[in-house]
Amino acid sequence: MIKAAERQQTVTTKDIPSPEIHVAPSPHLGNTHFSTRRMMIDVLIALVPAMGMALYLFREYALRQLLIGIGACLVSELIFVRLRGTNVSLKDCSAAVTGVILALSMPPTAPWYATAIAAVVAIGLGKILFGGLGMNIFNPAMVGRAFVMISFAGVMGAGAYEATGTLVDALSQATPMNAFKQAGVLAPVPQLFWGLTNGSLGETSAVACLLGGIYLCVRRTASWEIPVAMIATVIVIASIPDMAGYHGGRLIMHHVLGGALLFGAFFIATDPVGSPLTPKGKTIFGIGAGALVMLLRLYSGYPEGVMFAVLLMNAVTPLINRWTIPRTMGEY
Amino acid sequence: MAEQPTALERFVQGILPENPVYRQLIGLCPILAITNSMQAAVTMAVAVTFVLVCANAVISLIRPLLKPHLRIVIFTLTIATFVTIADRVLAAYLYQMSKTLGPYIPLIIVNCLIICRCEVCASKQPVFTAVSDAVGQSIGYGLALASIACVREVLGTGMFFGMRVMPAAWPDWSVMVLPPGGFIVFGLLLGTANWISNRR
Amino acid sequence: MVEQGDNTTRKKNGFRNNYIVQAWLGIVLALVFGIALSTVQAVLGPVIATNKINETKEKVPELLLGRDAGQDTEDRQLQITILPMTVAKSGIQKSYNVFEAKYADGTLAGWVTKVDGQGYADRIELLLGLNPSAEEITGLYILDQKETPGLGNKIVEERWRDQFTLKKTQGSLRVVKGGAKEKDEIDSVSGATISSNSVVDIINKTVADLKQPLAVAARKQKD
Repeated sequence: MIKAAERQQTVTTKDIPSPEIHVAPSPHLGNTHFSTRRMMIDVLIALVPAMGMALYLFREYALRQLLIGIGACLVSELIFVRLRGTNVSLKDCSAAVTGVILALSMPPTAPWYATAIAAVVAIGLGKILFGGLGMNIFNPAMVGRAFVMISFAGVMGAGAYEATGTLVDALSQATPMNAFKQAGVLAPVPQLFWGLTNGSLGETSAVACLLGGIYLCVRRTASWEIPVAMIATVIVIASIPDMAGYHGGRLIMHHVLGGALLFGAFFIATDPVGSPLTPKGKTIFGIGAGALVMLLRLYSGYPEGVMFAVLLMNAVTPLINRWTIPRTMGEY
Repeated sequence: MAEQPTALERFVQGILPENPVYRQLIGLCPILAITNSMQAAVTMAVAVTFVLVCANAVISLIRPLLKPHLRIVIFTLTIATFVTIADRVLAAYLYQMSKTLGPYIPLIIVNCLIICRCEVCASKQPVFTAVSDAVGQSIGYGLALASIACVREVLGTGMFFGMRVMPAAWPDWSVMVLPPGGFIVFGLLLGTANWISNRR
Repeated sequence: MVEQGDNTTRKKNGFRNNYIVQAWLGIVLALVFGIALSTVQAVLGPVIATNKINETKEKVPELLLGRDAGQDTEDRQLQITILPMTVAKSGIQKSYNVFEAKYADGTLAGWVTKVDGQGYADRIELLLGLNPSAEEITGLYILDQKETPGLGNKIVEERWRDQFTLKKTQGSLRVVKGGAKEKDEIDSVSGATISSNSVVDIINKTVADLKQPLAVAARKQKD
């Protein structure tokens, strides 16, 4: 906005020699420390607990996915940015964040090519083709994940999480969401809370996601409205069958702590590029995402729906932004 | 009135300089819908060629009789006839392919490529020019269909014309045979085509 | 190009402005094209009709006698007749197209029926082969499906379909995960329980409906 105003200024005052006056709408005070780089480093710091938990639980599987994910994201960022003829921008760390989020959202057993292709698609199709960081409509990591999820359903789907003959205990069980979808089995709450279950790398431990998420919200890197609205919606919807007396209160815990809800709510849905601008818009975004998550979990063929929920809400973000333009005082 | 291009110019223009898909961006429905295998794409290209050549020839023959305000009706009537013939012939002699292509053969009726060529060329120029224009445009259309189908079939199923070209360990990119693959591949190829022509 | 050429200079009088006269070219062309199309239909119609029947007929020997026998041309000498069958169950009439296959000497080889039902993505259309007494499934073939590529569409693979061969039709079949052990169990396609269930459901329903009437028909033929 400031730039546009500046440009206008230079055009209108071209022939009149006068001191240049910058005209820009308020706010005039800006936090200069609030840069892309700082935000991205914050996200990386917030992801440390989840990464640590993944490394503890899945060991070499987690290490492999993280290395492939980050490496492929950085390399494709370098290549695609150079193709567009702009300066290489690895320093803003956004590609690294995409890589970590992508790797943490992959199944531990995913083959190398799935993660690598997901990274290339995330950076290339998800971000650079739209014009680079800040211009993308969809969360890049989720674009990449959706691409390989649909492509390689056999190695990415719910069944692929279970692996036999490994030293990693967690891999021998079904994911909590899949166990519930297939057999109606609810995982014990402490297991879900500490994260001793099977699942995508970063999503298993509720406590790690909460720690990182709260750090992000306190630092104002992520806006608290989105995760709060999203989780609250899930609680409300999950409590309907619970109140009818089917699962004795455990269904709420299962849907909140299990699966990718917390990871998605704090790290994926809060992506500032793909989410609305105003607090009201963010609340609508969170409610929509939460409702879609529950819709997909309960009625779709997939056991989990966070990825598609966030992508769908990304698509309606421009619309939400139009609905929630703040009114100046006195305007009706 | 500006001078009309000659038959040779019409023919050459259709293939690359005015390629219906990459330059004019018309006739895109089959481009997205049936390019997940080379066989389907080639069949579609042949069907479009047949319809386009016949429609252009007939329209060109009756062009002195056309009334400006009723021309679209005549165009549609002619095109629909030849599309129906193509559809029936396919169902009779290539039954499996006709089942695969499903509604997309009848949908050639509303393919804007054909009505566009009737309007632009056949209703103004003699038969020979109209037919060479139709052949040129059809070749261009066929090339576009084949280029997209080639990428989608190889990546999506590891096959080319139904024959295995990728090693057995090739993981099929299912998304390529699904509708999103059509959009993605078409977009990327269109971008590449623009990039190449901009560099010239 | 609308307002150019000799058309604009033409005199407009009452007769020429009549709708019918204006549209003479369209009417003439419609007639010509109509005749052309009916000729095409007259010539190709029968070919298309046979194509549709052959699609099913071709699969009948394979479904009844096993895949190897199906490829052998001598065994293809089955006489196939279409037998429409209506089953009334709890007040609802359901009609099936049953293909009756006989050997050259007139003994019954078995039954093949074409049924469809809701799958995960769209309707699944399949052919089910039954032995003459309708007590055993002899084969299964998926004619049409739009299940998820990579997961659900594995129901067309021979390895999965072959499980159904020689299953008894006494009770209904069940889908299990991770290796079928019992006689009435079908191993589901991994990651595609819904698609597997759909196919088994279609088969169970068809068998329940047709078992009785087919067995009766077979007994009648023997007598």
